[in-house]
Amino acid sequence: MSMTMVYAAPAADLPAPTPRQLAAPAGVGDKIFTRVTLLTGLIVLGVMAAVGLFLSIEASQALRSTGTSFLTTSEWFPDRNQFGIAAVLTGTVAIAVVAVGIALPLSMGTALFITQVAPPKLRSTLVSLVDLMAAVPSVLYGLWGLFFFQGQVIGVSRWISTWFSWIPLFRVTGAEPGSPLSNQTVFTASAFIAGVVVSLMVMPIQCSIMREVFSQVPIGEREGAYALGATRWGMIRIVALPFGRGGIIGGTMLGLGRALGETIAVLLIISPRFDINFHILEAGGNSVSTLIALRYKEATGFGLSALMAAGLALFALTLVVNFTASAFVARSRSGASSEA
Amino acid sequence: MTTRVRFTRLVAVLLATAFAGASAVVGAAPSESYQRISGSGSSWAAGAISSMAVNVKQFGITVDYNPTGSSAGRSDFLKGVVDFAASDIPFQFKPEDGSAPERPAAGSYVYIPVTAGGTSFMYNLKINGQRVTNLRLSGENVAKIFTGSITTWNDPALKVDNPGLTLPARKIVPVVRSDGSGSSAQFTKWMISQHKGVWDSFCTRSGRAPACGFTSFYPTVPGIIAQSGDLGVSGYVSQSFAEGAIGYVNYSYAIGSRFPVAKVLNSSGYYTEPTPEKVSVSLLKAQINTNAASDDYLTQNLEGVYRDPDKRNYPLSSYSYFILPTKVGGTFNTAKGKTLGAFAYYAMCQAQQQSASLGYSPLPINLVQSSFEQIRKIPGVAVQDITIASCKNPTFSADGTNVLAKNAPLPPECDKQGPTQCATGTGGVNSTPTATASGGATAGSGTGAGTGATTGGAADTSAGTADAAAVGGDGSGGECVPDPDTGLCPAGSGGSGSALVQGAVTTTLLSNAGGWSSSQTLMIVVFGLILLLILAPAAAWRHLSRGEPR
Repeated sequence: MSMTMVYAAPAADLPAPTPRQLAAPAGVGDKIFTRVTLLTGLIVLGVMAAVGLFLSIEASQALRSTGTSFLTTSEWFPDRNQFGIAAVLTGTVAIAVVAVGIALPLSMGTALFITQVAPPKLRSTLVSLVDLMAAVPSVLYGLWGLFFFQGQVIGVSRWISTWFSWIPLFRVTGAEPGSPLSNQTVFTASAFIAGVVVSLMVMPIQCSIMREVFSQVPIGEREGAYALGATRWGMIRIVALPFGRGGIIGGTMLGLGRALGETIAVLLIISPRFDINFHILEAGGNSVSTLIALRYKEATGFGLSALMAAGLALFALTLVVNFTASAFVARSRSGASSEA
Repeated sequence: MTTRVRFTRLVAVLLATAFAGASAVVGAAPSESYQRISGSGSSWAAGAISSMAVNVKQFGITVDYNPTGSSAGRSDFLKGVVDFAASDIPFQFKPEDGSAPERPAAGSYVYIPVTAGGTSFMYNLKINGQRVTNLRLSGENVAKIFTGSITTWNDPALKVDNPGLTLPARKIVPVVRSDGSGSSAQFTKWMISQHKGVWDSFCTRSGRAPACGFTSFYPTVPGIIAQSGDLGVSGYVSQSFAEGAIGYVNYSYAIGSRFPVAKVLNSSGYYTEPTPEKVSVSLLKAQINTNAASDDYLTQNLEGVYRDPDKRNYPLSSYSYFILPTKVGGTFNTAKGKTLGAFAYYAMCQAQQQSASLGYSPLPINLVQSSFEQIRKIPGVAVQDITIASCKNPTFSADGTNVLAKNAPLPPECDKQGPTQCATGTGGVNSTPTATASGGATAGSGTGAGTGATTGGAADTSAGTADAAAVGGDGSGGECVPDPDTGLCPAGSGGSGSALVQGAVTTTLLSNAGGWSSSQTLMIVVFGLILLLILAPAAAWRHLSRGEPR
């Protein structure tokens, strides 16, 4: 009480220093805009929650009957209560890792070239070319991969398996490097080929995020690096790459999220198999989305619930990947605010 | 003022015309209006069904057929999301492979056979760079190939079937269906009936046991490639990298892909190809359920086909079925029933004329007549009284016998099991013969001639003379395994005849190197177009946005 009195005393002498009202009362347009944006934001969140809830409810029947063996079983016989995602989930990850492994250097190089190296005249053309790649429907990539690309990439697979088969990852059962009559088919329909095709779809997404980030590199720091005698590569190395690290990681993770969920291109290329297969060059692989696309047509009742459970696992995995990505982007220097 | 009057008059005239047009359309519509109908199912029969769907467009009937596989078709029908389904096998009340039973309501559906055909074994195999078109396989070898017991093409068991071919030491790559498929069901049913031991051991190995009955989901083990749909299988087998692959598809897909199919040994000792005539003959032995009260009325039992003693039999012949609704429900209503009925009548009658040209076999008269009775049960159908002769079905005759089957030619003697082998091609390459050693064996020196003739002789006519030299010259030559890229024998392996063999092969290679031709020009044009497709949008965009400030 006494404290209040001490502060209240001068107020009696001077007019109260109330801050001036700066903001005008929001107009009708502003109010509507605020409400609408809030609503759309909530709708997006609501849809996400609804998808998760729906998948959980639908999957509960299957998950209850298998329990934890759902994570360790690799076969898929839901009607015999013997099914799990061990094989499909590792297959999904294998394809996505291959895709990102190829797309990352490609997209980073493209983004750096467009923002730092290419003459300004060429820049917009290159940007629209990369965006064009993102606009091609994935079924076209799949068909192209199946009927054209697969035959062309076999040579690469064979070369890798011939020289690096001492690494278990690149071993191919049935490959006979010395034999002229060895079959090419052991290299087809593999996680590697599916991954290469998916990488082409992932690349534009990653590239556009990295391009955004690299284009925000503060001009002062760039010029400073040049003034200190840095070459262009030196500038990229000491200024652009550290500045854009958050964007690189975030873009990569977003691409990974897309690669995890890619369906039709993988379905067209891969030969589904239900065992954990780490030999990425070898024929046969699997992914969650392929499994769902392949089996949902025939599935009824319990089988459908099992597919929903697989979908739930993929949903959770994709969410984790995307949240990690956005956390990285938000915490990075380039993502938090533009300083230039 | 005058312009305004003119304008008003113009609008009035236009409106009047529009109304007149609309009323004319409305007036004409009810008598001939058909609703759009949709179906899904068998990809085995998809060639025939899609052709029917295209042909009924002329009557204003639109049918969307989606070849998603028989299992998916039956499932869609049960869910009520399609108006009809096509399936190679009936509903599975008690599946033998451990999958969930299908439980359609009794009396809510009927089967009518839609077409017949053979499940054929399309393969991609070359000897010495030349495509083999006359492969023969016994049923047991087919079963062993698709269960991984026979793994290389030069297996002695295959040599017995193909005395005229020197099959290479290449791995066999079986290509099967990855989706739920009636072809897989028919194929495994045949295998279980005829080669149960082979199937059972495979089933156990693949982890399916104890549910080892016939299955729509072919078990896969490493080494077997699985693809979705008949189109996926035939598409994979026909790729240039897929040398050594063999897959099971409907005969029509092999024709469409321009690839050969294996002739399969029947129980009378002849190797046959599933031509429309042979399928027609074979299916005379199919036991059709004629109990009209049964849920499985008109469905087939193929045991008799597997064992048919007719020389012309192809053991893997079968019918494929439409599943038609007899109750309204789901997306199906009586208005659609009218369309579906008209489509079904067309499928049973006029469509059968075209079956043979597509690689399918037309239905015999008794099945068409029974199907007409079944079509009456579709709700909303406009019943047609069709005089059976007007259908121009090639199997029909005045006395009721199956003309197509009666007049089917007997297989040539070179197709009989034994030391000779026909050179004529099969499937989609029936005009491309494969040189066989049988000629060399009879005319030449005996023991070693078989190998030599095939090595040098698998060439086209332009290599004919050198070919003959190779037959004579390589008589004493041992096993020459030619390099697939160059077509040459490794030095010395061909013995005394190797020089002559090389001569023959060189001729072949020269005849293949054609120089500049239309295909090269076409490639450049295509390349240019693709380049344009990539660059033009970007260039146009740049051009259009030039004026704007950045």
